[in-house]
Amino acid sequence: MIPRFSLVRPHTLDEALAAFEATGGDAAYLAGGTELLQVMKLGFAQIGTLIDVKRVPDLKGIERRPDGWLRLGAAVTHREIERSELVRHELPALAGLELHLANARVRNAGTIGGNLAFAEPHSDPATFLLACGATVLLASPSGRRELPIDEFVVGPLFTAREADEVMISVQVPPAAAGEGRSYDKLAFFERPAASVAVRLTVRDGAITAATVAVGSVGPVPALVAGAAEALLGADAGGDGLEAAVTAASGALADIEAEADLNGSADYKRHLAAVLLRRAVAAAIREAQADA
Amino acid sequence: MHELVTIELSVNGVARSLLIEPRETLAEVLRDRLGLTGTKVSCDAQVCGACTVLVDGLAMSACTYLAVDADGRAVRTVEGLATDGVLAPVQQAFVDKAAFQCGFCTSGMLMAATALLEDNPTPTREEVVRGLEGNICRCTGYVPIVEAVLAASRAGDAAGAARIEQGSENSGGAR
Amino acid sequence: MKRVTTRPTPPAPIGEAVPRRDALAKVTGAAQFTVDLGMPGLAHAKVVRSPYPHARILSIDTAAARAHPGVIAVVTAADLPDVELLYGHSIADHPLIATGKVRFIGEPVVGVVAEDPVTAEEAARLVSVEYEALAYATDAEAALAEGAAILHEKPGEQRPHRGFEEDIRRTHPNVCSQSRQHWGDVESALAGAALVVEGEYRYPRCYAYAMEPYNAVASWDRGELTVWTSGQHPYMVREDLARCFHLPLASVRVIVPYVGGGYGSKSYTKVEPLTAALALRAGRPVRLALSIEESILTTRGDGATIRLRTGFDSDGRILAREATILLDSGAYAENSPLVGRKAANRLGGPYRIPALDVTCSTVYTNTVPGSSFRGFGAPQVTLAGETQLDEAAERLGIDPVELRRRNVLRPGESAWPGVRGIDADLVADLDLAADELGWAAPLPPGHGRAICLSASDAGSEPVTTSVVRVHADGSITVTCGSTEIGQGSSTVLAQIAAGEMGVPLDHVHLLQSDTSAVSFDRSTGASRTTTLMGLAIQSAARDARSQLVAWARESLATGDDEVVEMPGGVRVGDKVHGWGAVVKAWFGGAMGEAIGRGYLRRAGATEVMPPFWEVGCVGVEASVDEATGEIAVHRLVTVGDVGCAVNPQLVEAQDVGAAIMGLGMALREELVYEDGTLMNGNLFDYRVPRAPDVPEFRSVIAERGDGVGVYGAKGGGEGSLNPVAAAISNALRRGAGIELREVPFTPERVWKAIQERDRARSAAHGGHAVQGEAGT
Repeated sequence: MIPRFSLVRPHTLDEALAAFEATGGDAAYLAGGTELLQVMKLGFAQIGTLIDVKRVPDLKGIERRPDGWLRLGAAVTHREIERSELVRHELPALAGLELHLANARVRNAGTIGGNLAFAEPHSDPATFLLACGATVLLASPSGRRELPIDEFVVGPLFTAREADEVMISVQVPPAAAGEGRSYDKLAFFERPAASVAVRLTVRDGAITAATVAVGSVGPVPALVAGAAEALLGADAGGDGLEAAVTAASGALADIEAEADLNGSADYKRHLAAVLLRRAVAAAIREAQADA
Repeated sequence: MHELVTIELSVNGVARSLLIEPRETLAEVLRDRLGLTGTKVSCDAQVCGACTVLVDGLAMSACTYLAVDADGRAVRTVEGLATDGVLAPVQQAFVDKAAFQCGFCTSGMLMAATALLEDNPTPTREEVVRGLEGNICRCTGYVPIVEAVLAASRAGDAAGAARIEQGSENSGGAR
Repeated sequence: MKRVTTRPTPPAPIGEAVPRRDALAKVTGAAQFTVDLGMPGLAHAKVVRSPYPHARILSIDTAAARAHPGVIAVVTAADLPDVELLYGHSIADHPLIATGKVRFIGEPVVGVVAEDPVTAEEAARLVSVEYEALAYATDAEAALAEGAAILHEKPGEQRPHRGFEEDIRRTHPNVCSQSRQHWGDVESALAGAALVVEGEYRYPRCYAYAMEPYNAVASWDRGELTVWTSGQHPYMVREDLARCFHLPLASVRVIVPYVGGGYGSKSYTKVEPLTAALALRAGRPVRLALSIEESILTTRGDGATIRLRTGFDSDGRILAREATILLDSGAYAENSPLVGRKAANRLGGPYRIPALDVTCSTVYTNTVPGSSFRGFGAPQVTLAGETQLDEAAERLGIDPVELRRRNVLRPGESAWPGVRGIDADLVADLDLAADELGWAAPLPPGHGRAICLSASDAGSEPVTTSVVRVHADGSITVTCGSTEIGQGSSTVLAQIAAGEMGVPLDHVHLLQSDTSAVSFDRSTGASRTTTLMGLAIQSAARDARSQLVAWARESLATGDDEVVEMPGGVRVGDKVHGWGAVVKAWFGGAMGEAIGRGYLRRAGATEVMPPFWEVGCVGVEASVDEATGEIAVHRLVTVGDVGCAVNPQLVEAQDVGAAIMGLGMALREELVYEDGTLMNGNLFDYRVPRAPDVPEFRSVIAERGDGVGVYGAKGGGEGSLNPVAAAISNALRRGAGIELREVPFTPERVWKAIQERDRARSAAHGGHAVQGEAGT
């Protein structure tokens, strides 16, 4: 059962931040509750006051900023992202990922900010947004700061967010010319066994930039520089790709991996390699469609 | 004395004003305060779907949805599906196809199906299967449930019936 | 659904797919489950559980919990000197609350009763218990190893007259029971065999996940106890409660409302004694409603390790089988001794085996108590037996269906001396399954097909009664102790009563599962209800009719009027009277009632055990993703050989439900222990099948009138689960060339089997790697 707590329902960001300060720190921000309330039920967290930020305008909305970056309010639900015409157009892999996240009820209630702030090692959005070079914007009474995903997610269930900071939004850079972004996962149980996100640029038929992120395999979603490097310069449509992907897969052989209910560390690394092949192909398809 | 808050909501079309503790889930309020025990709690972890209700038309896990979040919203439960004693088409289809056994998942399954059909009145078999992915039934093996939802869909009156007889063209096999 | 019928037509509505009688209640949310009950003054309980797999309790401090506002009672074993704490229907070794030590993580140690559940949970967190950790064993092999921790220093009291007394043998301090099944000379038969197949097979500890968690409400009134519970066996629970609280059976009333899933996991006694003890100390009615996490810590299925050897002649005929089975039965006996007996009985399958020797030990381990679970030993042993038949078929070059045809028992043939001959036509069932599966049709590359069988000595004991009450308006009340757990007993039994009394179905009202209002039935399990309660109702209906015919002769006939019984009443001379008219005439007014009694025991048709055989016949087509090891099942076929389908829609429902549950166990379900701790004790991590996991399903119902029940009926509901894992294993042996001997066939296990295959092929090809199948 959810233990007893006090509730504050602020209407502005300032009210929310003030409410936190007023508790002296025995408080937490609440959005969809799909993670936080579950943790409280299990007795893993005793929190005096929950500050419900769903009414705070700063945390809402999906828009394209003038500089082309996509801004997702932290309290935007998975369903809103999945159904957003803007996201479907600008970042179809994110819309697709959201469609296959958890179940319909969790997607209806859960928010992107809550997902990232919980830092579950199997998080789909965290892995994808990491590869995309996305950032999160945090606010506290002492000011605002913007962190890239890999500086934000610092450990399993652990982020750089201070207790008094609330996540305002997530920012995703626009695709460069000839850029494709993809995400794929294998899930045999409730959470993925492995997931891979690929962001690459194809110019004149060759891969000129690449980023590879692997999720669910290690304690945090991780960028795999070796895999990305192996893809660089490869002929996106020709015979050279096979060798490059094989080399990139090889770079996954020594990534940090932790056994879990999905299987051993070795098996999860193997799954990541299987996914990398699929994700590279999908990213190239998007890149070339874009071109 | 524990902190109490007032919420105003509509439950199956009836306006309600309730004084509740912030910690109370929608499932607790429906079951314990309003006596609407059709909504069941099973896994209590948003996995099984037994507690599925609709809040402003969206399926939610009432086990983990704070009742205060329903303030100002319209909640629908299994008790609200039938009108004037006449079963909703999806309920009737569940009866016709024997799409339940023990019945513990049934309320949530019906609400998930209702949300699915309101969003997409003519789903394919695959869309029904995907739409019910988050609702567990341990008795039926899902076969009659999928048939019932297809039968209750707008297409179910005519074309759907033929499709049901044909069997599952989209059964991708066990995953 | 395809129905194949060679039996005579029974009286309507028997044999008809009438709508379920619980339909309206269940689709409108009106159906009341135990968890939905409320009553004035109801208090709520929470349980403090052991965090240790094995530990001595040094002290319990409940002061802070008792002082918490809203708390009514805090109860430990020390607070219950007037209660017999140990219960268990085979061996009374299970304390309703821990006494002295704990034997598994999750064992109840303290009960807290408060005005509301949140307050009870708050108070439960204020209880502090000091433990001294003890060495532990969390699997059967470890529990039997040299120097293993001993769970039960002295044997529990053996309960009499349970039918397997000779199996309660403590051959090792951690052995709970040992069952042996043997005939013939196994050693010389194996020595003379053309082929001996040998292997070790593993079946996991599984969780049934009945969606309504264990819960009960207990209320005391002037020394008498009423318990509402989500259980399958109200009478068995009554017996345990009477014993724990030193009450006559008549002073204990157990009522079972609608039950949210059972599958065997709600057999026998669970939370009822603790709930009743808490209500006794609280002086209030108390509800104890477990969460799913707590339910997982309450009962599970027995895990199994099976070492099996089967000898064949060169034509594929089985010559002998020898097996050693270890069941991991958890911390307390519960029903595992009977599961062990059944595993030994069922290992042979539905085959003619000249010599067999099976020893099955149930072993105490520091894990959640194992007990009944759908299939009851059969899924475990069928995995081993059926896998070996296909291995033999491959090695002997015989089609596996043909190999089974050569070996199956023919109708009436006994598997072992003294046992009921098999009441099924398995050759015909194999043919039906092969047709539906498309046995001879071309297969896509990598796909394989298999058909597997199982045979279960089912029905438990025939100790069943029923009362049929015929009212003055011709309506009928049938009372019976069988529980509606979703299987449809409330519909099927009403159909039988209506058919037997010759009245429309809506004239029949069924009253079930209230030990003070309905007469005795042993249990709702072992696929027995349609068969055994059906016979009891038939017998009660016939008793009522014979009384009514006599009453008609006495009260309605004059002179030499002929009295002829007909459906729904009698014809006296040329006038037809319904049963209600006969009742009224005999009592001489507008009122009265006829009471028919039905008794079923080990006599007559149900003298030879088992009352019936439940056979399973399942076919699958499957393939594997060579890159990930993920299995895809493309088609699943069941043949429900049920003698007479009283309600074919419900028979099919049992078959599909059982088969998909079997699919879940074959592919994913397993309670995983690491370092004494259950790693996936929640529905998030314990994955049961979902809608997208379901393959194309084809159901055949075979009705040959060969069961002992009404119009040749016999039970179903477990048979279609038992062979599923073996069928998938065998399909992949044929389709992918891999060996799978450990359930569940998780992607990683399958991936490893693929690598094993490739290594073997590579070695066979002189060291050259075989390319292109397992690559990434």
